[in-house]
Amino acid sequence: MVLVVLDHDGSKLRKSALEGVTRGRKLAEVLGGDVVGLLIGPGADAVAEEAKDYVSKVYTVTGADFETYTAEKWAKAAQAAAAAAGAKAVVAPASRTGRSWTPRLAYKLDAALLEDTLDSWAEGDKVFATKYSFLNRVLEKQAAGLPAVISVKPNTTPLAEPAGAGTVEPLSVELGELERKVEVLEKIVESGGKVSLTEADVVVTGGRGMGSAEAFGMIEEFADLLGGAVGATRAVIDAGWRPYSEQIGQTGKTVQPTIYFALALSGAVQHQAGMNKSKVVVAVNKDPDAPIFKESDYGVVGDIHQVLPAMIEEVKKLKSA
Amino acid sequence: MKYVAIIRQVPDGESKIKVEGGQVDLSGTTMILDQMDEYAVEEIIRLKEQHDGEAVVVAFGPERTEEAMRTALAMGADRGVLITAAGYVDPITQAAALAKVLAEEAPDVVFTGGQQADWDSQALGAATAEALGWPVITWTTAFELEDGKAKATHDLDEGAEVVRVELPAVFTAQQGLNEPRYPTLPGIMKAKKKEIKKIDAAELGVGGSKVEIVEQRIMELERKGKVIDGTKEPAAAAAELVKLLHEEAKVL
Ligand SMILES: Cc1cc2nc3c(=O)[nH]c(=O)nc-3n(C[C@H](O)[C@H](O)[C@H](O)COP(=O)(O)OP(=O)(O)OC[C@H]3O[C@@H](n4cnc5c(N)ncnc54)[C@H](O)[C@@H]3O)c2cc1C
Ligand SMILES: Nc1ncnc2c1ncn2[C@@H]1O[C@H](COP(=O)(O)O)[C@@H](O)[C@H]1O
Repeated sequence: MVLVVLDHDGSKLRKSALEGVTRGRKLAEVLGGDVVGLLIGPGADAVAEEAKDYVSKVYTVTGADFETYTAEKWAKAAQAAAAAAGAKAVVAPASRTGRSWTPRLAYKLDAALLEDTLDSWAEGDKVFATKYSFLNRVLEKQAAGLPAVISVKPNTTPLAEPAGAGTVEPLSVELGELERKVEVLEKIVESGGKVSLTEADVVVTGGRGMGSAEAFGMIEEFADLLGGAVGATRAVIDAGWRPYSEQIGQTGKTVQPTIYFALALSGAVQHQAGMNKSKVVVAVNKDPDAPIFKESDYGVVGDIHQVLPAMIEEVKKLKSA
Repeated sequence: MKYVAIIRQVPDGESKIKVEGGQVDLSGTTMILDQMDEYAVEEIIRLKEQHDGEAVVVAFGPERTEEAMRTALAMGADRGVLITAAGYVDPITQAAALAKVLAEEAPDVVFTGGQQADWDSQALGAATAEALGWPVITWTTAFELEDGKAKATHDLDEGAEVVRVELPAVFTAQQGLNEPRYPTLPGIMKAKKKEIKKIDAAELGVGGSKVEIVEQRIMELERKGKVIDGTKEPAAAAAELVKLLHEEAKVL
């Protein structure tokens, strides 16, 4: 049995859930048994209707205790589902929250943890995975015995297709003392962009060289034109020009789009860690010696306030041609 | 009160890394206190300065980790405990060993870096918390003690939240939590005399690793590096760029 913890937004499955199902099916082919799913939190019952087409059984964990996320509660719910299913492997999204509860679960199950994996598979009774390490500069292959907890890096895996109707089974999970030690006082919601950064095919990132929050209007216009998402460097977040949810890099998000625009940013290693796997990198910087040019396929040396408006015009021409 | 920072020694991100025989070879690479752990060390020193008590650094790693620990002591931590083990040991196994030391130290607050700069792992803080039966708050950007509990702000996938946490608890540090101080010369001198207790991981009954690194490969992508001068005629440069992206790279 393989358990896949399915991420959702309260009304539908997230893309990462369907990536998880694909990984789960691949593991189950070798490990044997079915793929079962778990939905936790508000909306789980509604989403189960969609989810049951992908797995043989969907466990749901809901109720007042699961209104808000904590690593302790989610690990507890996953432990209960893993036990109910007799799972040899648990697959979960390597989102920021996913990566905060999966280590707890691995410890509870005395399991190996394969984190933020690009791919994963089983051979005999061993599991293997690939992942990046050393600030995204090394690709490594890892091996572990069972049971194993595997988190899936977003945007690495084909989305699963529906495979017929499974069943839904609510699971009741009793919280212990540990799960009551964190109280959520306040949510600080940042308005996410129209396009999810980690899933975007085009990312347009501005750095400190943009000069002001207002100048990001140009970045937004360019991103909109290309159906892409807006990114920012740490320097920009520190300046308060953009929300943290747009930060790309070691301490922000990791993106791997088809095309990455690095505009008026220097290309510090910590920033590169979040974007160095992009297919094509394009840089604009007024300093010909900026490190980002060494990490780029195409670059323009020039003032962003002159070059970007011209790029916007050229793309508009291209679109209307 | 007692405050602990769990630290690691990692390669300096600015230095080249090489692979020998399918494994990363760190010989000759500059090794530093993980920059994300610097936030953890700074935070426990500040806690000690504000509330009194003791600031202790704890680590699991090879002998050389002592150098990074001295850096933390030079910043102002009081003493260190180093669990020594050679080779790769996965975070779940490390957590079991760290928990034994921490259970004995009985700190109120534990901090560690949000992500490690070598294994790109975020697991150590959460796994250690689990091993101790304590809560964990990841990616902490603000922290204060309040009525024997902690109030913390931390990052989620989208947005952030403010939480109140019963202590003892583990927190992982995010950039922005504080501005780590540089060790001063007197600090470095004093650090030489501070105690570092070393314990062999085997003595704690912890051996092996649940995860094995089968093979490592450098993955730096080759970039074309085509640069157009747009200093004199920015519009023409932009037109050429868009043409290249459309016709050559075929991404627009
Ligand atoms: C532990 C740690 C983690 C970190 N994590 C991250 C992270 O996740 N993400 C991140 O981004 N950073 C991170 N950093 C910070 C990182 O080291 C850099 O400080 C940061 O990326 C710099 O941002 P920047 O490139 O926008 O600014 P700068 O380095 O100041 O670069 C600005 C660039 O803009 C160019 N410029 C200026 N004006 C113009 C103009 N008119 N036209 C064109 N170009 C212009 C300049 O030539 C310069 O190259 C981290 C640091 C640490 C220590
Ligand atoms: N980040 C890492 N990921 C995988 N293996 C590593 C890593 N760091 C060190 N190693 C390997 O662990 C062994 C001993 O490393 P160390 O004791 O840390 O010097 C060597 O074979 C290294 O290649």
